[in-house]
Amino acid sequence: MASQLNTESAGPIEGLRVIEVGDLAEVAGKLLADAGADVIRVEPRQGARSRHIGPYVNDRPDTNHSLRFASANTSKRSVTLDFEREESVSIWSALVARTEVVLDGTGSSTLDDAGIGADHFRTLQPGLIWCSITPFGLNGPWQDWASSDLVQLALGGPMMSTGYDDHSLPPIRSDGEHSIAMSNEYALTALLAALWLRDDNYEDGDHPIGQLIDVSIHEAVSATTEGSFPNWEFLGQRVIRQTGRHAAAERNSPWQYKCTDGDYILLMGGGIPRDAKIFEGLLRWMDEYDLAGDLHDPKYLEVLYTDPNRDVEIRNHVADTIGSFVQSLTAEEVYRRGQALHLPWGIVRRPEQNLDDPHWEDRDFFWRGELPGHEESVRYPGAPYRFSNSPVRMRRRPPLLGEHNHEVYIDELGMAIADLRQYSETEVI
Amino acid sequence: MGILEETDRSGDARPLPLAGLRVCDFTWIVAGPQATRILADLGADVVKVENESYIDSMRLGLQRPDEPMSLNGSGFHSNFNRNKRGITANLHHPSGREVVERLVTQSDVVIENFSAGAFERMGFGWERLQELNPQAIYVSLSGFGQVGRDRLNITWGPTAAAVSGATQMSGLPDEDPAGWGYSYLDHTAGYYGAVAVLMALLHRRRTGEAQHIDIAQIETGMVLTAVPVLDYQVNGRKYQRIGNRSEYPSIAPHNTYRCAGDDFEDDRWIAIVVETEEQWGALCDVLGSPDMASDKRFNSNDARKRNEDELDTAITVLTRSQSARDLMHALQARRVPAGLCQRTDDKMEIDEQLSARGFYPSAPHDELGEHRYEGYPVQFSDARWRMVRGAPLLGGDTVEVLTELLGYSEEEVSQMMAELAI
Repeated sequence: MASQLNTESAGPIEGLRVIEVGDLAEVAGKLLADAGADVIRVEPRQGARSRHIGPYVNDRPDTNHSLRFASANTSKRSVTLDFEREESVSIWSALVARTEVVLDGTGSSTLDDAGIGADHFRTLQPGLIWCSITPFGLNGPWQDWASSDLVQLALGGPMMSTGYDDHSLPPIRSDGEHSIAMSNEYALTALLAALWLRDDNYEDGDHPIGQLIDVSIHEAVSATTEGSFPNWEFLGQRVIRQTGRHAAAERNSPWQYKCTDGDYILLMGGGIPRDAKIFEGLLRWMDEYDLAGDLHDPKYLEVLYTDPNRDVEIRNHVADTIGSFVQSLTAEEVYRRGQALHLPWGIVRRPEQNLDDPHWEDRDFFWRGELPGHEESVRYPGAPYRFSNSPVRMRRRPPLLGEHNHEVYIDELGMAIADLRQYSETEVI
Repeated sequence: MGILEETDRSGDARPLPLAGLRVCDFTWIVAGPQATRILADLGADVVKVENESYIDSMRLGLQRPDEPMSLNGSGFHSNFNRNKRGITANLHHPSGREVVERLVTQSDVVIENFSAGAFERMGFGWERLQELNPQAIYVSLSGFGQVGRDRLNITWGPTAAAVSGATQMSGLPDEDPAGWGYSYLDHTAGYYGAVAVLMALLHRRRTGEAQHIDIAQIETGMVLTAVPVLDYQVNGRKYQRIGNRSEYPSIAPHNTYRCAGDDFEDDRWIAIVVETEEQWGALCDVLGSPDMASDKRFNSNDARKRNEDELDTAITVLTRSQSARDLMHALQARRVPAGLCQRTDDKMEIDEQLSARGFYPSAPHDELGEHRYEGYPVQFSDARWRMVRGAPLLGGDTVEVLTELLGYSEEEVSQMMAELAI
């Protein structure tokens, strides 16, 4: 199962040389690699943390068969190196010497403490961009605090906005390692901006400007809470969490309903159409099922679309009537017919249900590719953007642990075969 | 020198990474403004264009209850549009259209987040933009993208979250989906929008080529669902919600626990994660429960996972009367991952880390006055980001932009104002 580098067309950052180390930067590394960067992931001999987290192919734990690892490591190459060993220093130095960017996801100052971190290499390589992603940033009273995704989504604020009307139920952490996603997305904006600045200056004939980029996961999560910030800073109000809809200073009516097929439908803002014409279309649809209730009474049109005070009780009654209506249909019908009426309503899908939606086929969103440990090819969720002239795509399947040791250490760094063999036997590589 | 440079009080000589780049910004609501906010924070000259048909409706969001309604009275809008300049241009008037065309010729990036096809119907499709400025990168950000059978569907952030799978992946197993308590995918689509702009700029520098970028907000959510999408294909498993627990890795305790309430509400919670036996011992210690430490039901991770309901109940009995913040400090002192579920007032008024890092810098706004804003969550060694000014007033920078940047005389500007072209 050799991994082939597809060189059909260049990505937007084709050829950018990146070394990724640690466990907190793998989403940023993947996004760079899918966009054409040559990302070498430097893993400990036992493999990156995500290789030891399931689910696994066929539910059988295997370093090379973790779906968690596969999801965040497409298009990368993998080499192994044990930083605990003194011999690793010269090998690590040779890796860094060939790179433009170090994505440091070790989450701490471990490399710097060992004298092989940003401080050391930035003196040697003036244009080097070193992007450090840590739980709380590289300084401050909490810099050494213990962290996890759950702790980050608690401290950063998303959880206190997310959960249920019933506050005996806890604030909710959304599943999917979102603190890593948020921080890695911000890290990419900083890293790409630093590359722009580096070359901006270089063209003028000066030294390229290198950069130490200090990304705090706590700050990235804290910046990703939308309405709770202005509610407090500008209005002095706290928001309270509500089931399946925006947290708000005051409770409002539901947005989400369970339909007859057991699936849920999201009625943006509670479902009241934004103008009278759409409201009338909705009433005709409700009439087909004889479920329009008293909504044909002209007072509703008047209150909803001309009354500046928008009487809350009347609005709630309309929203409740629409809610009862949608609960009597399938979610798919509500979604399709609602959208046909220009209602911003969405079916609440499980992730895998999107595999069957032909809209994503029209967009070639899913990437078909190999998955180590699985005989048939699979479909990976693709890129969050479509470039017209420099396609972002999966360049190679997720690497096996140390799959590119030979290619990188011997072919590219010029290590002798005998040395690689010895490093391997003595468990340095 | 424009108003933003004049207002910049930082005194910091380090460069803004994107200084010298210009963005013609037709974004509104949240997702698009989030993308251009990042570019503006990093120093790009973002010129936000509004007109009578397309005033950013978030200007009316979260108005101050004790003040008259004002198009410049929204802190919500100000936070997403800070550090930008704002002009108005009436696209139904030939002179107004010319203002936009001149701005496009002066821009590196044109970005909008209208419904698919709307910008083209306004006369600014990709072909027209290329005629005006072959170097301009064009970003369209919409719910379902510019191509595909459902491209005309209407979305807001929560609609996109629902369809993408993000809503379903949030909540307790026996309850309805909790979803996200805000438009998470408006943030996410904005972040990816900024990433795409920067990648395209680097591509242009290398090849001389501009391009059109099509972002579908729902896809920006779907990229975050890869694990369950793969799991379904290879293991046939349909996604099931897990609440705040952890199945991968399979560890316990991993949950939020109710603590003593506070002056606002009896609604205080702490997140606690135990990954090692050492941390388990420390947790029992800090909670003052030697009984729990020696309890056979909890004496290994496997045992705790088997008895997780009882475990979570036993922990809650101990946390219920404690201050969540004090408990967090005590657990962190013993290296146990723990965090208070913070509200925004906790983050802004108490959080020692955000305070030490200067995460909420203050800046003026011509109508809202001096206020704090969310920072950009990164510090650079040899560059800086800025927090100079809140959002532009509606059309507040029209005169400056038209005279200093687009080559209009003051008389021409007055004439266009009289004709309601701007």
